[in-house]
Formats: sequence, structure tokens, C-alpha cells
Amino acid sequence: MSRVRCGPLSLLAASLLPIIGAVAVHEAREGALALLVEVLALGWLVRDLRATAVRLLFGMVAALGIAVSTWLYSGHDLAEAAGAACRILYLVLPGALLLGLIRPSELGDHLAQRLRLPARGVVASTAALQRLDALGEDWQTIQRARRARGLGMAGGPVRRVRESAGSAFALLVVSLRRTGSMAVAMDARGFATATDRTWAEAAPWRGSDTALLLIGFALALFPWLLD
Amino acid sequence: MSTDTSIHPASAAAASWRTIDLMTATVIGVAFGVAYWGWSSAYTALDAAAPALGPAKGLLGGPWLIAGVVAGLVVRRPGAAVLAETLAAAVSGIMGTQWGSSVLLSGLLQGLGVELALAFFLYRSFRVWVAALGGALAAAFETLYEWDIYWQAMSTTWKLGYLGCFVVSGVLVAGVGGWAIARALAASGAIDALPAGREAAEDRAGREAADDRAE
Repeated sequence: MSRVRCGPLSLLAASLLPIIGAVAVHEAREGALALLVEVLALGWLVRDLRATAVRLLFGMVAALGIAVSTWLYSGHDLAEAAGAACRILYLVLPGALLLGLIRPSELGDHLAQRLRLPARGVVASTAALQRLDALGEDWQTIQRARRARGLGMAGGPVRRVRESAGSAFALLVVSLRRTGSMAVAMDARGFATATDRTWAEAAPWRGSDTALLLIGFALALFPWLLD
Repeated sequence: MSTDTSIHPASAAAASWRTIDLMTATVIGVAFGVAYWGWSSAYTALDAAAPALGPAKGLLGGPWLIAGVVAGLVVRRPGAAVLAETLAAAVSGIMGTQWGSSVLLSGLLQGLGVELALAFFLYRSFRVWVAALGGALAAAFETLYEWDIYWQAMSTTWKLGYLGCFVVSGVLVAGVGGWAIARALAASGAIDALPAGREAAEDRAGREAADDRAE
């Protein structure tokens, strides 16, 4: 639990860079050491312990699945399986620890102002992300409407899958219809033609960001050095 | 009924990105991101129930490639597939999948696969086999990455079997399936402002004109 505040770009980089390191994790003993280092290097940033635990649990499922597959198809070699599990954990752990700290709108601000990604694309992406909550509401509305027409979710698994697919397509159509009017509204406010675009929030790069970025690079290198 | 389509027919190469193009690509990304998350949950359950699936697991991969194909076919501009597929992966990652932030890399690679197929036809052909090629390349790109991370200990035969299964799934589910979704969207009228929707509308107008002449 920490008070240190890192920006979204360094958090994203530190959650992605270890992928390079994961490729070099082969054995259980090295892997366990690498994992320990990774937890110590990134764990101090975690704030929401419960959400992190849930994401970690997902990661364990992934690692277990790959370990079982590896064990089955590599001549029942336990060492290979344990190595594979370590590799997957090394890969997914940073995301489990750090993804919850990134706020999408903040990431958008930083991507556009710091990395100079095309501003319109970034704004459109964050605007679309705002629709995530609305998607849930629309889904419920569609479900109610379909039930009223006798197309409810009751029935066997095949019927359920077909029902879900039908509702999902309806949701896509509704969303795209809304998008049309949203795009017109955005253009009416000068979105397409703006030259001196301003941003709601500044995108500062702090010392803690540099530190976290360096940690990310270290985690990308560490397993290769052990190897 | 007269529709003035001679000035800028849908078959012409698309001009620069308009707001509606950007918003459509991103909304497709977000909507499919939620679906990807749902499929990830189902996949996790399947994974636990049937670990002996082996290389046939690749057959389950196709659904994660659809967003790029649909956005590429609907928006028809360079970058639409990468934008939608990466955003979809990001949304599923934010909602929480078992693969942590590595889904972003997967999304980027898969989007690039679709993009490459569309670029090969200079963004001028959006037929079903172009979509199928996009699905195949997306699956191949993703598999090459997975070989190094997930399937390192497997034999070459296993890896090639997985590649084959994933490509088949990419062609059928993402390629043909994505093409069918794009077509259904065009027919629904929800994307009339976009190239794919314009083309469908022009076809309808053309048929009506032919009917008028026949009378």
C-alpha cells in the first residue's frame, strides 16, 4: 500500500516490458527467483488488495492451464510444466498488479500529450470507453424487449447461445446508431477541424515514472541474465 | 428514386478519417471488447474442464480476431483494424482476463494481421476472401507470439498443429464470420454513413432503378 503516484504511461510500460523477460523463463528454480523479484519490484505500488487478488487468481488459472497442457504434451515432464507455469506467471503478474491503477481517461490524456499519438484517435477511443457503462444498460433494455416478444433466454445451451448472439448484434446496431449522432455532435463542436486543441488535464511525467520505467526495463532483462 | 452517388461512389478509395469513421472503429472495438471478455471467461472454464484438448485449442481462438475484421471491412481505412482490435483487447484486459496486460500485445499483433491483408489489396477490395485472409494472418501473427510464451516446451508438430487449428478458426470465425457481421450491419442501415453502408445503399438503389426500368 503506497502513497507514491505513478502516471499511466509508466504503469503501462512496466506491465508490458516483462513480456520480453518472460520469454527467457524456462526452469522452475530460476522462474521462482524471477517471480520473487517481480513481486518485490512492483508489489509496493498496489492499492486495491481485493481486486488485485482476484486478478492474480485469474493469472494462476492461466498458469495452471498451461502447466497441465505442457505436462500432458511434453512427455509428463514435471520440471517443464513448472517452468511453463513460472513463465506464464511472470507474464501476467505485472498486469494483475498494475492494470487496476490505470484510469482510461488519464491514459488518453497522457497518450496524446506525452506520446503525441494522433489526438483525434485518442479522444475517440476514450469517448468510446465512456460508453462501457451505457453498453450494460442497453443490453438490459434489449433483453427485456426480446423477452416481451417471446424470445427469452430460457431453453437449452444452444438456444441460449443463439439468443446471446442475437442480442449482441442488436447491441452493436444500437451502439453504432448512437455513434452516428455522437459524431455529428462532436463535429458541431469543432472536433474535426480544431487546430489548437486543449486538454482537460495536464499530463505530468514525475520522478516516480522514470523510476518505474527503469524497473520495467530491469524486469525485461532480469530473466535473460539468469538464463 | 434518384440517389446522387456519381460524385463519390463507395467503390472509390476512402479519403482521410472523418469523425464518424474514428468513432465507428472505436465503438466496434469497445463492443467487441466486452464480448472478448465474455469469451475469455468461457475459455477459462473450458481450459479447466478439458486440458487435454491439445493443439485443437487453436480452434477456440477465432472469436478474438473478429473486431479487427469487422472494423476493417466497415470503415475501410488504413489503421481501422489495428485501432479496433487493440482497443477491444484493452477493454477485455480492463474488465479482467487471465492474461493480464499481455492482451494488449496480442490485440496489436492480431490487428496488424488483418491490416496486412487489407493493405495487400490496397484497401480497395473487401470481399469475403480478403476477410478470410485477414483472419488467417491475424491467427498466424498471434500464434508466432504464443509459441514463444505459452507453447515453448511443445514439439514442433504440436506447434504446427496449433497454428493450423488457429488459422482455420481465424478464417472461418473471424474471416467469414466477421464478413457476415459487416454485411448484416450494412443491411441494418446503422452504418449508412460509412463506406460499407454506402455500398449496400448504392446496391439497393441500383436494384430499385433496374426494377423501375423493367416496369
